[in-house]
Amino acid sequence: MTDDDVYWALIDVANGLISGTMLGGYYAIIAIGLTLTFGVMRLVNLAHGDWLVFSAYLSLVFLSLVPISPLYTLIGVVPVMYGVGYALQRLLLNRVSVQAMEQKGMSTSFGLMSPILVTFGMSIVLAQGLLAGFSSNTQVIRNELSYSAIQLSEDLSVSTLRLTFFCVAVAILVLTALLLRATHVGRAIRAASDDAEIAPLMGMRPARIYATASGISLAIAGVAGVMVGMTRPFQPFDGPQFLLVAFGVVILGGMGSLAGSLVGGILLGVVQILAGTYFGPSAQLVGGYMLILAVLALKPQGLFAR
Amino acid sequence: MSISGPDADTPLLAVSGLSAYYGELRALYDVTLSVRTGEVLSIIGANGAGKSTLLKSIVGMMNRGAAAHIQGDIEFAGRRIAGRATEDIVDAGITMVPEGRRLFARMSVEENLAAGAFLPRCRAGLRQRMDEIYALFPKLHERREQVVAQMSGGEQQMVAIGRALMSSPRLILFDELSLGLAPAVIEEIYRKVRTIHEQGVTCIIIEQDMRRALSVADRVCVMLEGSIVLSGRPAELSEAAITAAYFGQTHR
Repeated sequence: MTDDDVYWALIDVANGLISGTMLGGYYAIIAIGLTLTFGVMRLVNLAHGDWLVFSAYLSLVFLSLVPISPLYTLIGVVPVMYGVGYALQRLLLNRVSVQAMEQKGMSTSFGLMSPILVTFGMSIVLAQGLLAGFSSNTQVIRNELSYSAIQLSEDLSVSTLRLTFFCVAVAILVLTALLLRATHVGRAIRAASDDAEIAPLMGMRPARIYATASGISLAIAGVAGVMVGMTRPFQPFDGPQFLLVAFGVVILGGMGSLAGSLVGGILLGVVQILAGTYFGPSAQLVGGYMLILAVLALKPQGLFAR
Repeated sequence: MSISGPDADTPLLAVSGLSAYYGELRALYDVTLSVRTGEVLSIIGANGAGKSTLLKSIVGMMNRGAAAHIQGDIEFAGRRIAGRATEDIVDAGITMVPEGRRLFARMSVEENLAAGAFLPRCRAGLRQRMDEIYALFPKLHERREQVVAQMSGGEQQMVAIGRALMSSPRLILFDELSLGLAPAVIEEIYRKVRTIHEQGVTCIIIEQDMRRALSVADRVCVMLEGSIVLSGRPAELSEAAITAAYFGQTHR
């Protein structure tokens, strides 16, 4: 090997690490909404990916109404998605939860199944609704950021858009952690996730806490959706692939751990990009899934589960 | 004990004709009971006698539709609370230290206490209330950053009591206050309960240890198979009568 070969091999690895890390930040954002609702309510929202795609379309709608830079549509998307999450939990999901089913005299296994069926149905309805509203044409949220890059050295660069999103992702993780640690609402969310039967003795109302957690979860999915729309083309049936990414991150990072989501996301991103670099683009997904399978086999509780 | 005074005759808590069901299974049969402000009531009885169910009924934890429900009346400070949500009952001024403590295991001591002050009416005075609790349990102040899962049973019970006090209750229900604790620790916990009582909080205590239940209480109730079979002041009840009621023997 010549010095040149070594140099380029190193550049490949460095580029893989950089873009994998950037990708990981965005994977973490896709996943934390899911771990939040699972951690708090033991609710797996199978429509999580579809709500993410919904938010990308929502951003397009805002852009068609007001000509602003796409990132500013977050000002509209985030509150709308919080409201959607809150209302969904309050009006629909709280009524089909395990606890609600037990109150109606149903068995626990039925109670565990019902939200899965309901969110699965919701996923289909959402995708079909988007299809009806926007057709199956792929859409993209046009923006100037995706054409620019920051040059780190002559041969190393990072996309401005990806870097922006990575920073946003880290900021959201920090804010969520602060919310959970240092506010009354956050403490209530953690308390209810720890012992939902006892939380009411503190004066906490589980129905409201769950709705708040779902609102936060979908608000974060909204941010992820806008990011997705700005980075790649999307269409109505893309939801499940984001759900898979989220599951992958959660398996790697451990359920309910925010820092785990970030590290899990970065790990998945780096492995995918490196696999793609060395074994061709089709190896990207396979590499990611092999990593997930390996972790499931060796440490099924996730790498960072407490 | 204040027998005189204008409020002496209106009970703080009045339970009348209370029955409780887990699905089809009946756990309480027409329980009638009243507690005056400032009293300490001990409830004793064998496992399955319905003691915990009675406390759960009072704090609204038996309102779970088909899974569990109650019939009958419960009044607190003159207002009907039967059938109301636990959150509202706690807001009204009752709280419970549950059996097995049920702390938020992954939170620190201080976070558990703060969780106890979730109600809007408690938030403003949170810091001051917490200092009062640290004054009552200095050990908790030393360990305030510690995650409660790593603490001993006695320390956890102190956190559970502190957490309950954070909502500034007028009535505290202690379910199995001393279960699983070492004798020296039980001694200390009871000293604290006495202090809490002296600060004006009315207490209902479920206690397995009959002697201790008698020594701490103004009044004692013995439960058997979902009913109160004997009640009175400790001085009025002979140990033989209590034992007989406890085991369900008919002779008094």
